[in-house]
Amino acid sequence: MASSAKVAQQFARQLVTLSLVDGSVSAERVGGVLAYLEKHAPANAIAVLKAYHRLIATEVAKGEAVVEHAGPVSEAELASIAAALSKHYRRTVTATARERPELIAGLRVHVGDDIYESSVAAQLAALEASV
Amino acid sequence: MTLPIILAVAEASTPEKFGLELHVVLIQVVSFLILAGVLYYYAIRPVLSTMDERVKKIDSGLRYADEVKAKLEAVQHESEATAKKAQAEASKVIEEARKTAKEYLDRQSQETAAKTSEMLVKAQQVIELERRKMLAEARTEIARLVVATTERVLARELSEDDRGRYNASAARELSNT
Repeated sequence: MASSAKVAQQFARQLVTLSLVDGSVSAERVGGVLAYLEKHAPANAIAVLKAYHRLIATEVAKGEAVVEHAGPVSEAELASIAAALSKHYRRTVTATARERPELIAGLRVHVGDDIYESSVAAQLAALEASV
Repeated sequence: MTLPIILAVAEASTPEKFGLELHVVLIQVVSFLILAGVLYYYAIRPVLSTMDERVKKIDSGLRYADEVKAKLEAVQHESEATAKKAQAEASKVIEEARKTAKEYLDRQSQETAAKTSEMLVKAQQVIELERRKMLAEARTEIARLVVATTERVLARELSEDDRGRYNASAARELSNT
């Protein structure tokens, strides 16, 4: 049971690799992979599809930066952040703004599992923790 | 009445001449010897034998009394020695008991002093820990209050321009990271 799940995970990783173009998820490649799976269903198709879905979601999240902010943020600032993250991750990263008043002032950027923050709330929390 | 008779007998027995008659003396001597022998054999010798026995018994009794006296003195000496020995042993036991009691008392005193010191040290440690804990809690609470107050003040006092400038600075910082 554990070995079949491991095989499905490895197969899903290979499928995800085939679904990327320049480090980003390509909708066309994903459609092709799904069509292939539909025609040539593997033995543990459900497990493969679940793992593929989870990995694709992770890859999509890696290409999307959620910029939480308190106060106005210009499109130019979002674009500069997206460009810096694209350069850092070596793939295209798009920035999406989301209002978060509890930050008081500043930004918090989520890219996949990574978080970058420069906000008044974070500095106050660090101050409270240090005291 | 009797006097004439005595005088007549005396007159009739009066010797004719004054002198020593040898055969009468011999008879008297023989009679005396016989009487002495009979008396010695039947009276004096048993008496002497009885006296010897009495003397022996008295001597035996005296020796027995001496022996008893010696034994009594020996027993008395022995009892005195035993009493002295018992007294010495009793004194020794009492001395050992006193020594043991003193050692026990000293040991108890030392243990009590050690326990008291240990309790004092623990109490001081507990007090110090409580003080540090109280200070830490007070520091945390003060920090929380300061931060909460600062957040409220900043949230109320910061203008949109201030937030915009801060966001621009944060964007530059994140872009350069």
